[in-house]
Amino acid sequence: MSAPHTTPGSTGGSETPGPLHGGPDEEYTPERLATMTREELDLLGARYDGVQVLHVDPAPEPGSRVEKAAVRQVAMTFALAGLSAFAAFVVYAGSGWFLPDWQWDITEGGWSALFTPLIGGLGGLALTLVGVGMVLFTKKLLPHETAVQDKHDGSHFDRVTTGASLMGGLNTYGLARRKLITRSLVFMGGGVGLMLLMPLGGLIRNPNVGNPLGTTSWTEGMRLLRGDGSPIRPGDQQPGSLETVFPAVPGGNLESDAATMLIRLRPEQVSLERPREGQDDFGYGDYVAYSKICTHAGCPVSLYEQETSRILCPCHQSQFDVTQGAKPVFGPATRPLPQLPITVDDEGFFVARSDYIEAVGPTYWNRERI
Amino acid sequence: MAGLMAALVLTGTLYSALSPAHATEEAIQSESSAEAAGRELYERSCITCHGENLEGVPTRGPSLIGAGEAAVYFQVHTGRMPLVRQEAQAPDKPAIFNDEEIDQLMAYIQANGGGPTLPSGDLRDGDLAEGGELFRLNCAQCHNFVGEGGALSSGKRAPSLEDANDLEIYSAMLSGPENMPIFGDNQLTPEEKRSIINYIQTVKEQADPGGAGIGRIGPVAEGVVIWVVGVAALLFGIFWMGSKA
Repeated sequence: MSAPHTTPGSTGGSETPGPLHGGPDEEYTPERLATMTREELDLLGARYDGVQVLHVDPAPEPGSRVEKAAVRQVAMTFALAGLSAFAAFVVYAGSGWFLPDWQWDITEGGWSALFTPLIGGLGGLALTLVGVGMVLFTKKLLPHETAVQDKHDGSHFDRVTTGASLMGGLNTYGLARRKLITRSLVFMGGGVGLMLLMPLGGLIRNPNVGNPLGTTSWTEGMRLLRGDGSPIRPGDQQPGSLETVFPAVPGGNLESDAATMLIRLRPEQVSLERPREGQDDFGYGDYVAYSKICTHAGCPVSLYEQETSRILCPCHQSQFDVTQGAKPVFGPATRPLPQLPITVDDEGFFVARSDYIEAVGPTYWNRERI
Repeated sequence: MAGLMAALVLTGTLYSALSPAHATEEAIQSESSAEAAGRELYERSCITCHGENLEGVPTRGPSLIGAGEAAVYFQVHTGRMPLVRQEAQAPDKPAIFNDEEIDQLMAYIQANGGGPTLPSGDLRDGDLAEGGELFRLNCAQCHNFVGEGGALSSGKRAPSLEDANDLEIYSAMLSGPENMPIFGDNQLTPEEKRSIINYIQTVKEQADPGGAGIGRIGPVAEGVVIWVVGVAALLFGIFWMGSKA
């Protein structure tokens, strides 16, 4: 048995202490420690840690009326906590998730409406009671002591010795010597770092190749389809109606920039209509088609008020007037909704005459100015 | 002289034969008893704003020619008409007329210009999932995801569908009351309308699994309440414990 491993407190340890090396072990021999009570040992240890106990409020007398009452109180709280926890479990298990043959009857207007609140309430109550019980335990059944502990100020000596032990650790790893590990660590760090930076790639590439923001799937002769894919004839809608239409390409009803509102105006609206300059022939009869994407922040605008001819955006309350080329009349939007030029093909279904002549949706940095 | 006399007599005869008074009389004679009763109700309660011959009064009320019985049913059964005063939007209130009177008004309006008629049969006889999809595509933008309703411009609002019965929803889609767009039968077929009604009424009847519905606007809202109320309560407890220590 070598010397370092026989010192109490060092790794390895030993039942029988070997040669002692100063400090408290010299003053308090095992024989002397054996004669001391547990309380004395506790105080002694605290003193060596720089803790001085100033004052102790003793716990209630064992077996006294006060103690019995406190014990009952604490036990009752813990029991209630357990009860709530078990109740929460029963409610949860009754949802039939892990006991397929047994579950609560779910009835309309019955207690099942309270399923989630019951689980939450009972679980919360259980945890709260656990806390309350522990607080009661410490407050009512434990002695309360006031103690002062010295604060250590880091000295030059401490800094130097701590630094030495850290360097000792580095030497133990032997990285200066084991070059292969160092190199593989550098390689690993590079890979992992690159992996973390990877998402930034999308910010570096120019996303505007081929003008994707300025074009949509609409082309000349492309049919206007409903959400379910059926084409539309001019007779299908009543005056004062709106239908959301999509381009006739696969997945067209999922393209977020192509959604278009096909609106049939009432006769009174037609008489008021003033299309935007150069767009007089974009409508077809009493039908007009406008982009459904708000020019302010890109929300879908289709809160169509057919009496006031307004289209309201639910996000920031921009309003567009369909009788005036969907120009903004209220709110933060500054551009009219782009109008889709439409006509009817030789089978009598609505088709687009071209793509939108301007970009749909919010203004972006290199978009043509208004 | 004789020629002038003959012309006058002819004019007089023609006038008496073709005058509007005579035509009205004839129209009244051909009315059924329900239409006559409806006319009486109309002339008592509606004529001020909708005019003597349903032609409407500028700045007061629109023409009802071609409005149809569906529009009458919706407006009168939800209590929106007769209107108490002109404002941004007619609010719904307890119906003024009973069902028999509404039938009479419907007969009168329908007899003068026709228009969309009420459906028959089970109005919830439709596919629930398809109804949900159609609701989200056509209705949810104004009436919210489960028909809670929402604000529109300048004091108007899309009403909650909480108290709406099947026939009211159907007639609203058919007639497009006030600012609501019209959904004719070629746009949403009767089957699709029934699917939408089935969806709305089924969703309304579902229990709120979180306890309080909070407008059925979803778990985000409930989570916010839990965070705001719950965290506030916790902070309160922490402060209390701190002040005790």
